[in-house]
Amino acid sequence: MGSIRKTGQAVAFYGISAVSLFLLLFPFFVMLSTSLKQVGEVYSTPPTWIPKVVYWKNYIEIWQQYPIGRYISNSFFIAVTCTILNGLLAVPAAYAVSRLRFAGRKMFMYMFLVVQMFSPVIIIMPLFKLMAVWGLLDTYQSLIITNTVFTLSFSIWMLSSYFNNVPVDIEQAALIDGCSRVQTITKILIPIAAPGIVTTAIYTFISVWNEFMFALTFISRAEMRPLTVGLYNFIRLWTINWHHLMTGAVIGIVPIVILFMIAERNLVKGLAAGAVKS
Amino acid sequence: MLMAPALLAMAAIVFYPVISTLLSSFFEMNKMGDWVRFVGLGNFSSLFADKTFWVVLARSVFWTVVAVALKTLAGLGLGILLNQDYRGRGIIRTLIVIPWAAPVPIAAMIWMWTFNSQFGLLNHFLKQMGITSRPPAWLANPTTAFWANLTVDVWLGIPFMALAFLAGLQAISHEYYEAAEIDGANSLQRFSYITLPFLRPVILVATLLSVMWTFNDFNVIYIITKGGPMNTTDILVTYLYKTAFLFLDFSHASVMAFITFIVLLVFSLAYARLYFKEG
Repeated sequence: MGSIRKTGQAVAFYGISAVSLFLLLFPFFVMLSTSLKQVGEVYSTPPTWIPKVVYWKNYIEIWQQYPIGRYISNSFFIAVTCTILNGLLAVPAAYAVSRLRFAGRKMFMYMFLVVQMFSPVIIIMPLFKLMAVWGLLDTYQSLIITNTVFTLSFSIWMLSSYFNNVPVDIEQAALIDGCSRVQTITKILIPIAAPGIVTTAIYTFISVWNEFMFALTFISRAEMRPLTVGLYNFIRLWTINWHHLMTGAVIGIVPIVILFMIAERNLVKGLAAGAVKS
Repeated sequence: MLMAPALLAMAAIVFYPVISTLLSSFFEMNKMGDWVRFVGLGNFSSLFADKTFWVVLARSVFWTVVAVALKTLAGLGLGILLNQDYRGRGIIRTLIVIPWAAPVPIAAMIWMWTFNSQFGLLNHFLKQMGITSRPPAWLANPTTAFWANLTVDVWLGIPFMALAFLAGLQAISHEYYEAAEIDGANSLQRFSYITLPFLRPVILVATLLSVMWTFNDFNVIYIITKGGPMNTTDILVTYLYKTAFLFLDFSHASVMAFITFIVLLVFSLAYARLYFKEG
């Protein structure tokens, strides 16, 4: 009896798992499959699940026919710069919130949490005007500034919760031994909290890489587009080359998914931390 | 002061624009977005007289409620499944993260192609499975386009929900279940008297976050249907953006931003309170 019930249960588990995976991964299958099809097969009916002829050339054509390399390096440059600036601003601020007891500390934590939830749509109009006034439309700076600041409150908040988990005693001992505050941060806190800092940095990088609305609004020159808006422009063309767009999608998605998986476990904890007591 | 640089940056790029938007909703603005003259609540009353606005607002609420409910249910189911002890669940846990991990704008473009009525694999699949012989042209008519967008939004949101619930489930001690089993509680009773009460805080936090993300889901709708055909799939944030940058009506866009701001403020304050109370 018991073993029959167990087998039935196992079948149910694997069945539900398989269906869930199919539903969740279906579009990625479509993406991969289309990226390996020749034009003729892409626009044939009925569509095929697996390419009849695997056509790797899409991955070469996309570099030759579109400024995809430029899009990627734009995205990369913007995201890396934002990540560095974000760290430089967020680490000291998170240290202050985590270690110093000053009036209004709790209020700041509240504020960072609330700001993190703001929609960019709310501020996009004044920001557009600001960028126009500063002469920054169609520049990297416009995206670097907005993305750095927009990801800031989340970073401060994540970092401060990591800093809270580092015992204060070590820093106090160092202070007594004659270290300056800056030294306790750079020599003690940062090395100990390194995993948290890396997670936060990865998350910032990903958020900026994925950003769409700011880039859509501030950038109109083709060569300044980051990858998201660059690919979006495929859709605005009269005839959409879906096989090339899907090839671009593979290139844009794969590295990000890998990065995300590195940071993800800490991320879930961070977002729902208050509610999950372990 | 260690926080000064961060606060100054936020003041310029976040707080100033928020205040500017809020003030703008009381001004008549030209097509350049400059204030022309103070009109008090004039922009509010003319926006409220526009039927499209109310339809879009109602759709935003419906969109959020349905999508969050579906994500929560699917996430709960998946979380419970992954909490069971069976071989290979580690791999499944890793794989289900992918929809969350992939850049939303790019994922939306893939879905757009998947929904393609002639060459898309979704309709081909529906035909092959015998579900329907004449699948709809998803993105061409208002109702199916709405549900197509919603499907993508739900699909994006499921992994976070499932993982948050899984984390919550793993924090529940086995002893409770063992004690209940000894006392003769069946699986439904164990679920409703042990699992649900323990999960309550996680469910609250996760749905609150999800409400804000879903209400704000600009990327999916803007990329897949751009709110069309004829504004029939717009929600507040996409309609707001189009009102500003396509129709250059900054006054009414500001009023909508005002409303979006209030809605998000209420939910994010609730989230902040929960976070600090529980944590």
